[in-house]
Amino acid sequence: MIKDITIGQYFPGKSFLHSLDARDKLCLTFAFIVMIFVCKNFFSLAVMLLLALLMSLLSRIPARTILKSFRPILPIIILTSALQLYYNDSGTVWFEYWKFKLTSGGVFTAIFMAVRICTLILVSSLLTYTTSPTLLTDAIERLLSPLKIFKVKVHTLAMMMTIALRFIPTLIDEIDRIMSAQKARGADFETGSLITRARALIPIFVPLFVSSFKRAYELAFAMECRCYRGGEGRTRMRKMKFSWRDYAAIAFFCGCFAAVIYLNISFEHLI
Amino acid sequence: MALLETKNLSYRYGTGTPFEVAALDDVNIQIEKGELLAIIGHTGSGKSTLVQHLNGLLKPQQGQVIIDGQDIWQDKHTVRAARFKVGLCFQYPEYQLFESTVYKDIAFGPVNMGLSEAEVDECVRASAEYVGLAPEQLSKSPFELSGGEKRRVAIAGVMAMRPEILVLDEPTAGLDPRGRERLMRLICNYRETTSNTVVIVSHNMDEVAEFATRVLVMNNSRVAMSGSVGEVFSRYSEISSMGLTVPQITSIFASLRSLGIELPDDVFTVERGEKELLSLLRREGRL
Ligand SMILES: Nc1ncnc2c1ncn2[C@@H]1O[C@H](COP(=O)(O)OP(=O)(O)OP(=O)(O)O)[C@@H](O)[C@H]1O
Ligand SMILES: [Mg+2]
Repeated sequence: MIKDITIGQYFPGKSFLHSLDARDKLCLTFAFIVMIFVCKNFFSLAVMLLLALLMSLLSRIPARTILKSFRPILPIIILTSALQLYYNDSGTVWFEYWKFKLTSGGVFTAIFMAVRICTLILVSSLLTYTTSPTLLTDAIERLLSPLKIFKVKVHTLAMMMTIALRFIPTLIDEIDRIMSAQKARGADFETGSLITRARALIPIFVPLFVSSFKRAYELAFAMECRCYRGGEGRTRMRKMKFSWRDYAAIAFFCGCFAAVIYLNISFEHLI
Repeated sequence: MALLETKNLSYRYGTGTPFEVAALDDVNIQIEKGELLAIIGHTGSGKSTLVQHLNGLLKPQQGQVIIDGQDIWQDKHTVRAARFKVGLCFQYPEYQLFESTVYKDIAFGPVNMGLSEAEVDECVRASAEYVGLAPEQLSKSPFELSGGEKRRVAIAGVMAMRPEILVLDEPTAGLDPRGRERLMRLICNYRETTSNTVVIVSHNMDEVAEFATRVLVMNNSRVAMSGSVGEVFSRYSEISSMGLTVPQITSIFASLRSLGIELPDDVFTVERGEKELLSLLRREGRL
């Protein structure tokens, strides 16, 4: 079902990860993603993977929920690995059949890629699992606020993002509802050629757009009725403050990143 | 044999998550040919979940849905057949409209059934008439219509599939009193002309008392009562313990009786109430 998609969802909780400052989490996640791409061999990647696993433990999100978030990107992982297996013919040949050659280089690169993507997904879903959308956009707004000198409308951008995130579950519910209604009228989304299936989406998307535009107007009116007029002179309800946990997390991450760079330099090859 | 029956139907939402709720619990109902069955029950009692099982939109987690003696989940074809035998119109169906004209939108169901152009045309025009849409409205865009008209187009879209059982989930919700009355009369007319079965879910007891031939009461995901209008609404205390009310006229008559005025206790419609009051006034010589 469409409802099983958990990427970008927020799970309220009181774990260590939940209690970190959103700006901190955002920056660290960003740094983490950069570092994953810096990794050149299994040793440095192992450090990143362990760090990611430690974070999932600290988030207290059930393992099943976390595993579920991998499901939608499983095809991508399989495809990348398969391409590596097929095209990479470095290293020793282990097995050969017709055009297909299984080499040690191919296998290791495939595993390396798969682990890299998984770590990436894991860390980015942990960010959204443990940070409420409002806090997240708040953090983005604050981090980007220096851009205001270049006349970038940071507040407006952040507000747009908050609204977009807020309405994802609503839209999913709506799609579910519309699909059921059209199925009750005999619409068939599962069989037929690609073109018939694409055409079958029209009865879903037209009502979806109609109601989304309607909702957008209503929301705009409601915001204006409450005297919303953009970011100027607007004060904040929440103060964001770094605590010792945030400094500890930064220090720990810096340590791990240093280890990654050290391992990268000391080992030339993938393994 | 009943036209449609459910056997030990149970359904829970969100199984295996912290948000698990029971929506249906061992539900056994029978729907007979030609009746107008009203399903009532408090918010969240499982009415919408039940009706979505009747045409195979939801798959029973336990139990069976049987139409004409056949389990609808036997194979792919029986489920699809059930979609057309049982026409379901959702709560607030306006959002399902998508075509460029009313005509095309009503035709969506019949076209999906694979009918020929002439048959589709006949179905569309007949169902437009059932819901009181003027022929010139058929060429309009559905988005130009008023809320009540949109509702009627959506209902016509389901009627056009000529289902043996027409199921309407709160068809009159959000309409003004006159719109409600009009829509209910249209639905009744449809039932009489086609002699098809109609099931409605409703929160309006006056409507139920006036139009239904049988009433089914849902309470906390179970069937609590089933019977004629009289049988159900005469159990006043049970009904109110389920968070429901009896028709307004029935409670007025109950208060009059408690004042010592001699009136019958089986008055459920305004029409009947008027008659009883007039005959009372005549008897007392005040008229
Ligand atoms: N899609 C869903 N996901 C999770 N829970 C649901 C879903 N739909 C309904 N429920 C739950 O199932 C129960 C029964 O809901 P249902 O919609 O069948 O009630 P209802 O009798 O139609 O109520 P109403 O009169 O408000 O329409 C409720 O507790 C509801 O919260
Ligand atoms: Mg309902």
